[in-house]
Order: sequence, then structure tokens, then C-alpha cells
Amino acid sequence: MAHDADVLTASGIPAAEAERYGHNLPLIDGNKGYHQVTEEVFAPTEQRPPLRWWLALAVTLSMLTLGAWAVVQTLTRGIGTWGLNRTVGWAFDITNFVFWVGIGHAGTLISAILFLFRQRWRTSINRAAEAMTLFAVMCAGTFPIIHMGRPWLAFWATPYPNTRGSLWVNFKSPLLWDVVAISTYFIISLTFWYIGLIPDLATQRDRAKTKLKRTILSIFSLGWNGSNRTWSRYETVYMLLAGLSTPLVVSVHTIVSMDFATSVIPGWHATIFPPYFVVGAVFSGFAMVLTLMIIARSVMGLEEYITTRHLEAMTKVVLATGMIVGMAYATEFFTAWYSGNPYERYVFLNRALGPYQWAYWTMVGCNVLSPQFFWFRKVRTTPWMIFILTIFVNIGMWFERFVIIVTSLHRDYLPSSWAMYRPTFIEVAILIGSFGLFFTLFLVFTRVLPMIAASEVKGVLKHVEH
Amino acid sequence: MSSTEHLHRSRFRASFADPEQLLHAVAHLRAAGHRVLDAYTPFPVHGMDEAMGLRPSRLPRACLAFAALGLALAAGLQIWTSAVDYPLITGGKPLLAIPAFIPVAFELTVLLAGLGVVASFFLVARMRPRLHIPDLHPGANDDRFILAAELAADVQFPAVAGELAALGALDASLLVEDRFQRHGSFWDRPAGVGALLLACLPAFLLLLLVPLLNRDFQRRNLAWDGGMGAPLSAQAYDASGVLPGGKVLQAPPPDTLSRRGEPPLAFGPGKAEAERAGRELQNPYQPTQARFNRGKLVFDRVCATCHGREGDNNGSVIVARGAFAPTLLVSPVVRDMPDGRIFHVATFGGPTKMKGYGDLLSREDRWQVVLYIRELQKAAKPMVAPAQATGAQP
Repeated sequence: MAHDADVLTASGIPAAEAERYGHNLPLIDGNKGYHQVTEEVFAPTEQRPPLRWWLALAVTLSMLTLGAWAVVQTLTRGIGTWGLNRTVGWAFDITNFVFWVGIGHAGTLISAILFLFRQRWRTSINRAAEAMTLFAVMCAGTFPIIHMGRPWLAFWATPYPNTRGSLWVNFKSPLLWDVVAISTYFIISLTFWYIGLIPDLATQRDRAKTKLKRTILSIFSLGWNGSNRTWSRYETVYMLLAGLSTPLVVSVHTIVSMDFATSVIPGWHATIFPPYFVVGAVFSGFAMVLTLMIIARSVMGLEEYITTRHLEAMTKVVLATGMIVGMAYATEFFTAWYSGNPYERYVFLNRALGPYQWAYWTMVGCNVLSPQFFWFRKVRTTPWMIFILTIFVNIGMWFERFVIIVTSLHRDYLPSSWAMYRPTFIEVAILIGSFGLFFTLFLVFTRVLPMIAASEVKGVLKHVEH
Repeated sequence: MSSTEHLHRSRFRASFADPEQLLHAVAHLRAAGHRVLDAYTPFPVHGMDEAMGLRPSRLPRACLAFAALGLALAAGLQIWTSAVDYPLITGGKPLLAIPAFIPVAFELTVLLAGLGVVASFFLVARMRPRLHIPDLHPGANDDRFILAAELAADVQFPAVAGELAALGALDASLLVEDRFQRHGSFWDRPAGVGALLLACLPAFLLLLLVPLLNRDFQRRNLAWDGGMGAPLSAQAYDASGVLPGGKVLQAPPPDTLSRRGEPPLAFGPGKAEAERAGRELQNPYQPTQARFNRGKLVFDRVCATCHGREGDNNGSVIVARGAFAPTLLVSPVVRDMPDGRIFHVATFGGPTKMKGYGDLLSREDRWQVVLYIRELQKAAKPMVAPAQATGAQP
């Protein structure tokens, strides 16, 4: 044909140009056809789960039950069941909150930011990563709410017209910003995830064998029939949501960091906090995505969809953000020294050499040293090595929040207020329970909804690596 | 509109296995004068909008409008609540603290823009739960790329089917059912949705008016909870299940100054009564170490604030504030006063400024304070009149 040079690949790159830059690696292995993708992606939702899925569910449900018991203890007996005291008023609860919010950020990054950057490899992992975001935000949300002590009054945090006199929430408080940011983040993430799911729900509807399943899927797939007029609007909306989610995800952890940074506590009152928290969130989130994906791809046989190239790309993000996080740790020490403020200097010396130094050095070891192994290609492409390292990163990032919160608080301005914090069994049980909730939801998700965005993967089947 | 009979003869569909073939077929049909109604693909085929001649979506404008609405709502809500309806100063920040309003304004802008554009999308794309999709191709949403089109005037379907087969169509057939005709209930139409929203509007407006009309904040309204509204409180003389002795009211801790009443004193306030007290009353207590200690405790806590710990006005709060100088307790005037007179002052107050402490200190404590004042006077240096003292100093 006359316009051969203008023939586009599925990604919109002219074929000739793709050839010139040597873009010849497919994103999906196995040389699959469209129907094969449909069959393979929807198979887990249409078959009986294997025994190991039930075993995994038994473990995660036990963890969830333990956590539920601990939450009931907290609610019926009060916050006194926790190890908090007047000096260390935030500890495990807020650590877990910030940890889980951070985990969620990778999902949005993959679904929105990588979409805007046209990183087409995201298609294999974005559905699961976004689900992970939602589940992580659910886990995160429970902590501030049970921390309130009387969570049935949590609606007081919303500005609603009331009969208690002229009474409104304080819009100048970072804690209120937090409520608004986390709620918005959850709602927009859920919307984004659902919009992405609609085409696949339609496929699932068309394949449904039972009437009940078909009815439920008919309701949620909103009459989707693959019309190009709808696709055209759909892509516009998807792009807009990605554009909205990108600054949103940055704002969320920025505002979480302001819970700390706008206070006058040495160790918290720092302008580096917003970028430091956002990068930390991406770092921990990608580590968690890797941890989950490595398990999921092997358990569910999705190695041809989530290839080692996907894993390698994500380990590079982990390496880059890990080094930024390490840089932030060093910058904090420099700022403390350069400020000349004796309280600020003391807090950081106390972090590294004080009674919680074991937590600090755990954090540095896990977050700064362990990602360095990702310099080696062999490590980046060996799933079990990535798995071990990302577990370390998860541990390290949990300890980062613990170190920031507890070491800054436990040495107050007044030495007479100095105290130590140790968690009670109840607090540890709630943390275990939050992992139980997270993994339970994820396990159910992998069996109820298509874990891979089939409609997106079909769009990149003939696409080659950039 | 024409009859359904006619539509059946002019509208058809064809399916392909490959998106490129579909693109070529759509371009071919349009070039031949047929009207391409829509294409149905398992994923968005790039170039199809151009091939079908679709205009770019106007949804970004809806998104912008909703973003502006969100920003305006957030700004209005924050400014009105924080600076007008509930002007509470927190942390010394100004009431109209615009920088502090940015985070919430941003979040609500994103929230309304996101939800608004999705709602607009559902509305314009007519997406709503449908239990039956009319005439869905078996390969739709899976692996087939399908087009639906209307024949150009005086062209017969078999001819077009032949052309499509040559372009790679796996099947081609006239539509057996008109999927483009609106059939459904009133609520399926945009007008129906609009009517539904309009019907809800008065209720929403009423809801908004409720807090504005009911401004009697003294009146208790609906109790949302049993916690903060009606706290458990104990009355002083109630029985208690937890406090020692089973009573709410507890004995004061040691060294508390007593406010208990004693039998009435046979004296009243005033100068004459003070002189009578000086004549008639004797200190019933003899000085002992225990009484000295008690007298010192009471004096230091109550009297020393104005009179100074040594009774010499040194350290007196009111002297330090420049108000006036209280009577010097170690002065010859007080030294010469009888015990009963000092007791009367301690009970009913002084002739000018001092208040009486009869209602705060027990009678025994007041007498012990008198004993302690005597000890202070003994310990103090012999005093002369202030003017002479100044002159005597070198």
C-alpha cells in the first residue's frame, strides 16, 4: 500500500520507527491469540479454587479473626489496651496507617502515572495493583478510626449540618485534610478501578454459566457491548481519571506527611517530609506489588503475562526510589545538624544511637542496603531473589514509619516526660489482622474478578517492548 | 422513522478476526457511501474514531466544569464555616486562612471532577445496568472485531457481503433485530433521568434549609448517641460502687485546710467588736511544736501571700504589684495587740482592706496562726518607725 510507512503498531508507534529502535520484544510471552487470552485470564474465575488457595484463605482468615478479636477488645475495653502513654500517643496505630497508605500508592502509580507515560507494560499488572491499592487503603483507614476510641462517632470528622450550635470541623487542621485526602483517594481509586473493569466484566458476563452470576455481572457491566462510540468516550474518561489520579496520589502522601510536618515535634517539623513520604510510599508500594505478583504469577500460572521483564522494570523503580529514600535519611541528619537546634540534633542522634537504635538500623539496612542488590541483572530477573529482597523492603518501610513516629515522640522537650513505648499483644494482633484483611481480600479478588486486565492485554498483544 | 421491516433490510453487521481488517472494511464501506453505525471491539482500536469519522469527545469540558464546581464548593464551604458561621481561632491562625484551605480544596476538586466526568460518561454513553444486550455477537468482547452499518440507497446486501468477505470478514448478515431503536422504559431515557433528578431537587433543598431554619441551639434535638450528650455524673451524696467507703464524697487528704463550721462565735465584724474581742478572748491553745508547725503551714499558705513569710511584707504579692502595703505583723502596733484582737482580724478581716478568713480557716487554725505570729514577732529584729529607721541607717 502507498502509506505503508504510516502503519501503526497497536501502541501507536509507526512500525518502521519501532523497527529502527530495535523494539522487537513482545510484552506478553507465548505468542497468544485474543481468544486464548480470554480463556486464560477468566479461567480462575470460572473454576473451583485449588486446595492451596483454600489453605491460604484459611491462614489469612485466621489472621483476620485474630485482628477482629483485638479490635473488639480495643473497642470494648478502650485504648488503654494499647501500649500508648502520654508521651508516645501515636505508635503502632499510626505506623500501620502510614504503612498501608504507602502500600496503596504503587497501584495508583502503575495505573495512572505509567499510563500517562505510555508505559504499556503496566497492562499486565495494573488491575491487581489497583486492587491492592483499594485493599491497602481499607486496611489503612481502619487504624485512625479505631484509634479514635469511639469509632461510631467517626462521622464527626465530616462537615455536616448539625444541631449542636454553630459547630464545624476545623479546616485548618492537617488531620482533617487527611480525612478528606484518604476518602477522596479511596473513592477515586475505586472509580478508576471500576471503570477499568467494565469491559472485562462484560466479557465475564457473556461467559457466565449461571443466571445469578449473569445477573450480577449484567448490573455491574452497565450494558457494555464493546461499541467503539463508547470506547472512544471511555478512553477519554480513562485518560482524565489518570490525569486526576496522578496529582491526587502525590497529594495524599503529602498530606499524610503534613500530619507530622506541621507539628512542632523535633524530627517531624521538616519541609523534606512531603517528597520523602511520597517516594517512600512508591518504594514500599512497588515492593509490595512485587511480593504479591511473584506469588500470584507462580500460584496462578501467569508467568507468560507477568514476565520477568515486568519484574525487572519494577525492581528498577524499587532501586531508584530506595536510593532517594536513603538520600532523604542522610538529608534529615544534615538538616538537623545545620539547623543548630539542639532538640533537633538530639532527636537524630537519639534515633541512631538511642534506645530505639535497633529499629533505626533495621530500617537503614532494609531500605538502603537491600535494594542495592538490584544493581545486578541476575538478581533483577530471578523471582525468588526479588521476593526475599522485597520482603526486606516491606519490613524496612514499616520500621521507617515506626522510627519517625516513636523515636520523635518518646523524648519530649521535658526530660520528666521521657518515656518508652512497647506494643501490647492487642496492637500486634491488630497489625496481623490488617495483613489478614489485605491478603483475604486479595485472595478473594483473584478468584472473583479477572486479575489481569484482559481488554488491555489484548491491546498490547502485537505490541513490542519500547 | 421508517418501519422495522425496512430497517431489517438495510442494516447489517460483519465480524473480523483482526483489527486492521476491520479498519480497512470501515474505510471501504464509508468510501462506498454506506453509513457505518458503530464498531464493536474487545479493546479500543486506534484509528477507528478517524475511520468512523467520530468527533473527539467533549467529556473533558464536563470534567473541567465539575472541577470548577468542586473548587467553588470547597472554597465556599471552608470560607463560610471557618470565617463566618464558626469563627474559631485555632493556633493563632487567621480565620480566613487561604493556604490552609488549599489541601481540602484540591481534594474536593479532584473528587468532583472524577465522579462528575464518570457520571457524565455513563449518561452520554447510556451506560446503566441492562439485563439483556440485544443481538450481541457471540465473539463480541472476546476475539471478534465487528462493524454495524446501513446500506447505501439502492445497493443490495449480498453484493456488500461479497466485498466484506474479500476484506476478510468471517461472517456478514443483516441485523435480525434493530439494536439502534430505543426501547425501554421511561427511566431509560435521558429525559426520564432528568425528571428523576428534578423530582429529588425539592427534597435536597429542604434538607439544606433544615439547619438554617432550626437555629435554637439551646433546645436539645435528636440525640445521635448516648455518650457525649448525657454523660454519667455522680452527685456528692450518692452511693458509689467504686470509691472507698462506698460514698462519692470522700474525706479530704491530709493537710487540707478545713472549711468546716464550728459553733457560732459570739462576736460580729466591726471596730467595736474587735476591741471587745481583744478584751474578752484568750488564746485557748498553748504553744507546742505541733501547733507551731500547723500555724506555720496555714500562715505560709494563706497569710504569707500578702504579709510575707516572716510577717515583714517581704515577698508580698500586693506590695510587689504596687497596690498597697498591708499592716506589718512584726510592727510594735501588732506586737502590742491582744491575741483576741488579732484573732478577730483573722476571722472578720481588717479595718481597711483585708478580708476575713473565718469562712475558710477553722477556729483552731486561726488561733494557731495567732500563736505563729507571736513567734514571728519574737524572732524579728526590734523595730522602730520606718522614717526613723531610714534616718538611722548609715
